Amino acid sequence: MIFKRTKKQARFAGGGLVLFQSVEEAIAAEKVLWANNYDVKLVAPPPQLRKGCDLAVEFNIVEKAGVERLLRQKDKHFAEILPVKGAGELLDVVKVKYFADACMVKAGNMKLTFDKNTGVILNISGGGCPDIPYLHLSMVDKKITDVARPKDKGHTLCALMLDRAFVEALEIFRKETN
Amino acid sequence: MFLICGTIPQADAGLVMGEARFNGSKLHVGNMEIPCTQGTAALVSAACVVASHCRINAPQVIFAGDTGSGQGSRLLYDYLIKNLPQLNPDILLLHYILPVMGLMKKVSEVTEKCSKKPVMIADASSMYAAKAAGLAGQFDIFTPDLSEMEFLADAEAIHPAYISHHLFRAEIAHIDELIEAAYRQKSMAKTVVVKGAIDHIVQDGKITFMLDRPDLPQLEAIGGTGDTISGMVGAFIDAGFSHYDAAIKALKANREAGQYAKATPATKISQIIAAIPQVLNYQ
Repeated sequence: MIFKRTKKQARFAGGGLVLFQSVEEAIAAEKVLWANNYDVKLVAPPPQLRKGCDLAVEFNIVEKAGVERLLRQKDKHFAEILPVKGAGELLDVVKVKYFADACMVKAGNMKLTFDKNTGVILNISGGGCPDIPYLHLSMVDKKITDVARPKDKGHTLCALMLDRAFVEALEIFRKETN
Repeated sequence: MFLICGTIPQADAGLVMGEARFNGSKLHVGNMEIPCTQGTAALVSAACVVASHCRINAPQVIFAGDTGSGQGSRLLYDYLIKNLPQLNPDILLLHYILPVMGLMKKVSEVTEKCSKKPVMIADASSMYAAKAAGLAGQFDIFTPDLSEMEFLADAEAIHPAYISHHLFRAEIAHIDELIEAAYRQKSMAKTVVVKGAIDHIVQDGKITFMLDRPDLPQLEAIGGTGDTISGMVGAFIDAGFSHYDAAIKALKANREAGQYAKATPATKISQIIAAIPQVLNYQ
């Protein structure tokens, strides 16, 4: 039956693979994701990406943050989450720019700017996925040490990029205030 | 009619449709007040300011409530796929919508059923979906920032989070190469407005305009300063300007509004938008 869920096929985006050590893990994860309204399907991973078993769950890679968090919350074991094409790793290069009293940390398409003295998040810019305005509202004008990590509240790759900027910004702030 | 589609950070809002009304500080659609923050709300607010300045109708808007789960985005895609021919917009601007390539393809296909294909503009995640789905050539205007330009130049990337490291390390000095690569891979709309320390307008793969004054590096930190440009471009086109002239006017107005507002990295986008009417009067 799991291969006959065709009513959502037209809206299926794909692009991301969850890899597993066993077929049972793959089937269990697919059920959990499906029950939580993620558009997913069971596929055979390409040979170069295969980690354990020959069954993987394909999903919209943009929703990586939400998928990974849900599987962890539900104790569904997986080996790795990868994009089907392109770079296998999320961009991990971070750039830092200083203004008079502020510091802007840039990770990919996301930028987080905080006050160097107080640690208050002054602005979040860049990105394009729908959780970014939500994260913007929930983080801006709050102290960087007092807010949840973006990857714990966001759902998308933009949220993961913001999380990279956030982690770096937090480290810079702690170094500068110690 | 200028139709703007995107999401707002209210999970239970469903679809909110109607003419946008912006009074200088508050944005309303129907009976709902939308916080004027980074994202599609900032874009719509800036478009309203230009519409008012040019004495044309305010843009029509379809907002979907979505905080990232994608449920609101899918409602919006479905609505557009079903209703775009009846809505028949002259200009269609797609913005913060969860990228779902199959649904973006359907939206693109259904625009062909409008009595005249609308001017197609994409920014933010809609631009990501259009590029990843191989639909860039169907769009008239993209409005990327520099990191998004790197994404357009990366043949394999389906989101800016997965661009090649060497492209991200490349700075503005390499923009010619990024444009050339993106154009070669057919990842460029007909006109591309690259927002950054130096703004560029690219038409059919060639840089036709650059702007670096007033020099305000702090604008990069302010969430929404790219959104305002995209909204103004659409509104100036609605007022009758060519795509090229609309882009120039929007880029200039954005920088000048930043200067007028005495922008700092702590400035909020609502303060920049509030300054736009002042600078438009002097353009």
